[in-house]
Amino acid sequence: MHLTALLWVCMQAALVVAWCFTDMETGPGAGVSTQPNGDRFKIEGRAIVPGIKTQDWVSTARILVEGEEYVGFVRTDGSFAVNDVPSGSYVVEVVTPNYRFEPVRVDITSKGKMRARLVNYIKTSEVIRQPYPLQIRASGPHTYFMKRETWGWTDFLMNPMVMMMVLPLLIIVLLPKVVNTNDPEMRKEMEQSMNMLNPNPELPDVSELMTKLFSGSKGSSKAGGSSKGTRPAVKRR
Amino acid sequence: MAKLILLCLKFIILSSAVEAVFEDQVGKFDWRQEYVGKVRFSHFDTHVQSSKKVLLATENNVFAALNTRTGELFWRHVDKTGPEGNIDALLQHGQDVVLVVGNGRLLRSWEINVGGLNWEIVLDSGSFQSACLVGQQDNVKHVAVLKKTVISFHYLSNGHQKWIENLPESETVDYQSVYSDGNGEVYALGIVPHSHIAIVAYSVEDGEIIKQMSVEAAWLSNIQASCVVISQGMLTCVDPLTVSLYMLDLHTESQMTQIPLQSLGLEVAPGFHPVLVSTQPNPGRQPLSEFFLQLGPDYYQLLQLNNGQIVTLRDFKPAMLVSFATTGEKTVAAVMSPKNKTASSLNLFSAETGRRLLDTTLIFNMDPYGGKPEKLHVQAFLKKDDSVGYRVMVQTEDHTLTFIQQPGRVMWTREEALSDVVTMEMVDLPLTGTQAELEGEFGKKAAIQDGLMSMVLKRLSSQLILLQAWIAHLWKLFYDARKPRSQVKNEVTIENLSRDEFNLQKMMVMVTASGKLFGIDSKTGSILWRHYLDNIPSNAAFKLMVQRTTAHFPHPPQCTLLIKDKDTGLATLHVFNPIFGKKSHVSPPALPQPILQSLMLPLMDQDYAKVLLLVDDQYKVSAFPSTKNVLQQLQEMASSIFFYLVDSTQGRLSGYRLRTDLSTELIWEVVIPAEVQKIVSVKGKRPNEHVHSQGRVMGDRSVLYKYLNPNLLAVVTESTDLHQERSFVGILLIDGVTGRIIHEAVQRKARGPVHVVHSENWVVYEYWSTKSRRNEFSVIELYEGMELYNSTVFSSLDRPHAPQVLQQSYIFPSYISTLEATLTEKGITSRHLLIGLPSGGILSLPKMFLDPRRPEIVSEQSREENLIPYAPELLIRTEWFINYNQTVSRVRGIYTAPSGLESTCLVVAYGLDIYQTRVYPSKQFDVLKDDYDYMLISSVLFALFFATMISKRLAEVKLLNRAWR
Repeated sequence: MHLTALLWVCMQAALVVAWCFTDMETGPGAGVSTQPNGDRFKIEGRAIVPGIKTQDWVSTARILVEGEEYVGFVRTDGSFAVNDVPSGSYVVEVVTPNYRFEPVRVDITSKGKMRARLVNYIKTSEVIRQPYPLQIRASGPHTYFMKRETWGWTDFLMNPMVMMMVLPLLIIVLLPKVVNTNDPEMRKEMEQSMNMLNPNPELPDVSELMTKLFSGSKGSSKAGGSSKGTRPAVKRR
Repeated sequence: MAKLILLCLKFIILSSAVEAVFEDQVGKFDWRQEYVGKVRFSHFDTHVQSSKKVLLATENNVFAALNTRTGELFWRHVDKTGPEGNIDALLQHGQDVVLVVGNGRLLRSWEINVGGLNWEIVLDSGSFQSACLVGQQDNVKHVAVLKKTVISFHYLSNGHQKWIENLPESETVDYQSVYSDGNGEVYALGIVPHSHIAIVAYSVEDGEIIKQMSVEAAWLSNIQASCVVISQGMLTCVDPLTVSLYMLDLHTESQMTQIPLQSLGLEVAPGFHPVLVSTQPNPGRQPLSEFFLQLGPDYYQLLQLNNGQIVTLRDFKPAMLVSFATTGEKTVAAVMSPKNKTASSLNLFSAETGRRLLDTTLIFNMDPYGGKPEKLHVQAFLKKDDSVGYRVMVQTEDHTLTFIQQPGRVMWTREEALSDVVTMEMVDLPLTGTQAELEGEFGKKAAIQDGLMSMVLKRLSSQLILLQAWIAHLWKLFYDARKPRSQVKNEVTIENLSRDEFNLQKMMVMVTASGKLFGIDSKTGSILWRHYLDNIPSNAAFKLMVQRTTAHFPHPPQCTLLIKDKDTGLATLHVFNPIFGKKSHVSPPALPQPILQSLMLPLMDQDYAKVLLLVDDQYKVSAFPSTKNVLQQLQEMASSIFFYLVDSTQGRLSGYRLRTDLSTELIWEVVIPAEVQKIVSVKGKRPNEHVHSQGRVMGDRSVLYKYLNPNLLAVVTESTDLHQERSFVGILLIDGVTGRIIHEAVQRKARGPVHVVHSENWVVYEYWSTKSRRNEFSVIELYEGMELYNSTVFSSLDRPHAPQVLQQSYIFPSYISTLEATLTEKGITSRHLLIGLPSGGILSLPKMFLDPRRPEIVSEQSREENLIPYAPELLIRTEWFINYNQTVSRVRGIYTAPSGLESTCLVVAYGLDIYQTRVYPSKQFDVLKDDYDYMLISSVLFALFFATMISKRLAEVKLLNRAWR
């Protein structure tokens, strides 16, 4: 009888040691929490909202452990303790309607050893240590609202579509004024560059060919009322 | 990496497409009401003369401070539900309140100005009996907590334990009460039923037993029910059998003196257990020597202990309620006595003399649709001339709190029954009188009976009425415009209720656990009618059904509430008008047999009331209304009426068919072995749901048809084995007509609570994964395939092909409290899931995130279909909270209703609080948004107009010039 008891103690000790070193893959979790008479522990910590007096927010704050499984309240100095928590692994959250706090996972061994780590739902066994007793700092106010799309001149002008329309317009209007077209040298230069663009002036372009084809050999005298008419005239010269 | 960037991009695109609340919309169409629940303890804050606080501890495990001027909450602390958060005692001293919580498990001290916790300590286990503040003279520094076997003593300042002592002979003696009057001793009073009283006096300093007495009292069975301590430590008990008072001096005597009530000239009403009421205004001093003795249901006697003699001061008959209140050195007794049928009067009496104080009458008008007064909470204060003034908070059986000031002005009322809403419906408001008049003109009967002339006359008269209404409306507008804005009241009353053009304003009919029904205007949240149903069994289940909507003028709308006692299964029906709350003149049938199931049929009787079928435990069906017309229709339809019953204890689901003689026939049965798993919920689809599109267009322009079976049931089971390795959650999709199991899925290493939403062709459920210790969502979608078997009509009996089943699961980074889906008029708008979180937020999660066709590898086709690439974790973005910072505590249910606008869905979330809002899952595509820029569009239009005018003129000038050239 004595021996078995000893063995049992050894087993437990071994278990605890093993558990301490292995990953949290299969923690005590539900198995322990279902035992009615297990030891109960206390999760302690402090919640901080930088720049805000504690009395302005503590009355709306709650500490939720594992949803609403265990509930704690914040003391007037911002510290908190959640009593009566059996061993296991829990997500501890500070909940206020106005400030955002990151949740923390707290693991409690059956001996009452505590550790805190970042919550990672995807890699559940990953351990990034957090301080314990918990120090939970608010990361700012909650952003509940979307910004209205306001209409302003700058928004309008900075719109890419508007930019695309306005810039060519500017070029068309302003370029002839900046560049003196009456200067013969300049004109020469421009003509050259035009020739560069149109590499072979002797080759008739497609549209011209088509008009010629459809209007017959009478020439484009009638159709040449439009702007196109100027070019063949140049050629005839 | 590229994939990640793509994902991010997608998210950005999506998040901009998803509706959120804008800051200027706050309070525009949403409202929240906060409640605390049925009050158990109340305490007016008196430590500051001008304090406006009343502290309440409620049966819903809520501790709150109310503003006595307005009835609004200063702050509120919501503990966990169930016995672990139960508040056993409330003791106030100065600006600290000490609560004993969870059957004496925790001792908490709150700072009431800020609403923060001072300290919290864990007490030793043992069931809680009593607690009291202990002081010496005016100096209260300790609190004593009496438990079954121990008494402990704590400092008020930090909660530290000063001493703890085991109670002597606690195996036999039942210690029930603790008493202290400031003389350095604490008394624990215990009893051995029908034998003797045990009294143990402890020293305050070190917990040493000073004295231990045992007093013969064979007649006594419960100290708390029949004894009080008055004056200088006189334990006074009342015995209904011998009709006498027993008195015992705790300090000296060891014998009880018997004082027969007859010797005082008093008589107890037959069958009534007399009750004693005493008061101890200051825990550091002795209780008063005056006390009330209740001798009958409406008979109180004020008594005084004077030099060891009991003196009668005054009798109050009839008196409904009495209460002591203290301000400064003065203690008064408030007595409520009936005045007439609808009102009762309150008066103050001096406690010392029993004399009535002048000018202290206060009239309390009782709500004819409310409950009887149950408790008085009196706030007494000294006026400038040193006389006593008071305000009173009356608590009635229907959990209503009414705060009244002299001479009967109601400062506020709180309907605390609304903290426990069980079920609700939204009913369309009726048309206005004129609209109804127009409707009536073209009624079927009228057109046939009347001739041409009378029809013309009718038409003209109704047009006249319309004109009149229009002019009246204009006049009102003009009249209101002249008045300053603050004076214009747009109060909603039942009389001026009418449907708005988009049917956005509706009547919310709410059923509460206490049996009080409410009609609330959805636009403003004001309570338009209330109706308290007394004699509701305490464990009743409610089902609310709309039998006739407002669409059938001149027939009034009709709702039916089925109230079923969960123990016996016996049910009653309450039929009422949902707009006015009045009980209908239609008499519901008596239901002598326990009811198993109720179902609303789409059939209507000649008065347009839908038929309600009730199945009793003999599997006999009765109909309501059961006119000849209905029975005939039922006979014709019987072969196509099926229903199912669920027996969760035996794990049996069975389907029945109606026979023409209204008996039933078992046609299928599914047995789920109850020793392995239990049925936790069975969800069908909502009958008022519309599905707009029959299928989904795929990337290659083919159509994947949805499997839209209106008879499909989603059955959720949980394993009975809760071990984390072996527990599982199962989901069965069963056709309710044929019993055919369409699909079966098992989630291993998972456990409940499971939340399910079943709609269109999908089922979404959420469970707890014990393996990874996280919440997971799973979605099942059913598709017919690329072609439809019978596109015109769906029949469960003729569907040879099993549907294709797609399933996908996701991680959800929070617990959830409840789950519901949005609902719109025609089902064109995309769906969102509304998720109630324990933090109080209500998350609106687009259904497209829960789509089993989300691809792991993005392809051209999936991009074409607008599918989001699969990501294991669902995000919670605070912009998706539809209730921004208006959190809803302990949200238990979310009700969604379509409005007249396809884009808009009305949402009501209820729990401890009630929150009403509108959501636009696909943005407001059918009305102009409220930020629509009228200025911009009109200025652009004008500018264009002028530009054309000017350019036209210029062109003319140019043409003219050219012509001259």
